[in-house]
Amino acid sequence: MVYTVKSPALLIIGIIMMAWGWLNASGNIDGMQSYLQKSAYGDHMKVKEKFDAELRVATEIATAEGKPAPDMKMPKSKFDDAKAKQTQLSYYFGGAFVLIGLLTLVWKPSEGNLDYYMSVVPGIAFILLIAFIVRWGLDPVFANWGKAAQPTLGWDFAKIFNLNYVVLGIVIGIIIVNVLKIPSWAANGVRTARFFLKTGVILLGTLYSAAELAQLGMLSVVMIGIFVLGSVGIVLFMGKRMGSPNSMTAVLSAGMGVCGVSATVAASPVVQAKAEEIAYTIGTILIWGVGCMFIFPTVGHILGMGPVQFGAWAGTGILNSAQVAGAALAFDPHGIETLKVAEIFNITRVLFLPIIVLWLAAWYVKHEVGAEKVNLGQVLVAKFPVFVLGFIAMFALSSAGMFAPAGHYQGKYFSSAEVKEDKLLKGKETRAIDGELTRLRSPDGAAALTKYLQDKNVVLHGHKVTNDEVYKSLSDLVANKKMMTRDDGDRLKSVVKMEGFDAVAKGAIEKAQKAATHDSKSIRAYRDWIAWLFAFGLIGLGMQITGKALKQAGGKPLIIGGVVGTLKAVGSLIVVLLFVKEFI
Amino acid sequence: MEAPKFERGTSLSIFVSDRREDFSALVFAFAIAFGVLFLV
Repeated sequence: MVYTVKSPALLIIGIIMMAWGWLNASGNIDGMQSYLQKSAYGDHMKVKEKFDAELRVATEIATAEGKPAPDMKMPKSKFDDAKAKQTQLSYYFGGAFVLIGLLTLVWKPSEGNLDYYMSVVPGIAFILLIAFIVRWGLDPVFANWGKAAQPTLGWDFAKIFNLNYVVLGIVIGIIIVNVLKIPSWAANGVRTARFFLKTGVILLGTLYSAAELAQLGMLSVVMIGIFVLGSVGIVLFMGKRMGSPNSMTAVLSAGMGVCGVSATVAASPVVQAKAEEIAYTIGTILIWGVGCMFIFPTVGHILGMGPVQFGAWAGTGILNSAQVAGAALAFDPHGIETLKVAEIFNITRVLFLPIIVLWLAAWYVKHEVGAEKVNLGQVLVAKFPVFVLGFIAMFALSSAGMFAPAGHYQGKYFSSAEVKEDKLLKGKETRAIDGELTRLRSPDGAAALTKYLQDKNVVLHGHKVTNDEVYKSLSDLVANKKMMTRDDGDRLKSVVKMEGFDAVAKGAIEKAQKAATHDSKSIRAYRDWIAWLFAFGLIGLGMQITGKALKQAGGKPLIIGGVVGTLKAVGSLIVVLLFVKEFI
Repeated sequence: MEAPKFERGTSLSIFVSDRREDFSALVFAFAIAFGVLFLV
């Protein structure tokens, strides 16, 4: 069979991308870009204003001295960087697609690997073009509309309905597959979506460090444990009561309890599930997951949840890995923190798969008279999702400091040694801190500090912060003119909020903390890669959600799935709100 | 009986099995990880 479809589509997509790159580079669409990237453009105007003033002064000085006007270049703004990035991506991909598109038109494909892998390129280009339009066009347009309508409506509709690149991408995917149908030349490429999603999940391991997981680890294991085992138990109980076939009940419980589609597939041979039962379960999970993906972020925003709380809730309450990522990105499209927390919970849930598979096998054999015995070890080795192990391997390397400084938190790391000379505290600032130190050491000041630390329950590494520790942190800061340790920063971050704390000293402490906190360039690059991989994967996922698959979620599985899904979503929301605190 | 739509891969993937897809994603992810590490 020959897979490559002769079509000029790939060439046209490549030309569109190249044209966008050229328009960006030439500055012809700066007017439109200034609307689409309002915040970056604001930064650009500030940089330009400052540069113009400096140039004017330098020119006047040069003229007075009889020298030629200075040759100065305006420093790059965020707006320039954003445009340059769009240009670069458009040229790289557009160029490659034009070349392959031309080749495809003249090439006579014959059956083989080359034909098979070449046939996926037009579909990849198709999804990528949609990703470009959505991320660079629709997302900022809706964000602008949402903000513009806020004074009239009283709320930002784009934020509340999560009309960002993730949701818009999936919706466009669903519209294309159900209304317009996927063009034949793009069909093979759409089937790469899950591969790119899995790549994104593995790569997500680079963003974690052991320090972060230590904070979330026990919490995620306990929460997930309760909800996974609870969901499986309730589905098995309800399935029995409602008279569903054992194999149907068992496979649905794996899907509802662990991680959606992959758990369903992994559990199916253990309980000898029929093809239509697997399809029913996947349909139920998909319809429930799609609903959650839209509802969760809205509820999260209404309840004012932070990234850690929302991530924990989505990672526990939503069934399918891709939809967990979709909801997390919809809630927080421009940061990756929510996604990271959600994935930690999601991955923890996947790690329960072997236990659930064992439980289901035992349950099935017990309830199904004459059930054929299956080799559990073999099933696990054959079905366990290897990409989960890839994520863990990546996390281990990242914790060892391979991809980013060890001990970083959300891409930021502390380094006293890297504080630049011009960022050291000035005389006026150290004197202000010294003045506060003297005040806090006086009897009244010491009493006030003790009361504040007790009232606010200021805790570091599990023990209450003492006056002496605060004095030492302040003394070290004065002596070194910079923050020496992360602990000093954490202690003083709380102390500066004391009533009556000197404003200059407060500003100096915050400045010292900022100067010692650095952004990891590699983490920024990984975040960007992950955002693109997920955007691509989720648009492709949208293209696989057909009306037929959604209709399959009818009858008993939908009732059982709906009840258990609601219990899980509401139960995990209550637990998260009660026990999960934002500690960023 | 209806002929399978895809002689190679599955309806949701271009790979013949989930395991093959997982390993390919693993290789691709590590290529990106080390690419960023050495180039950024």
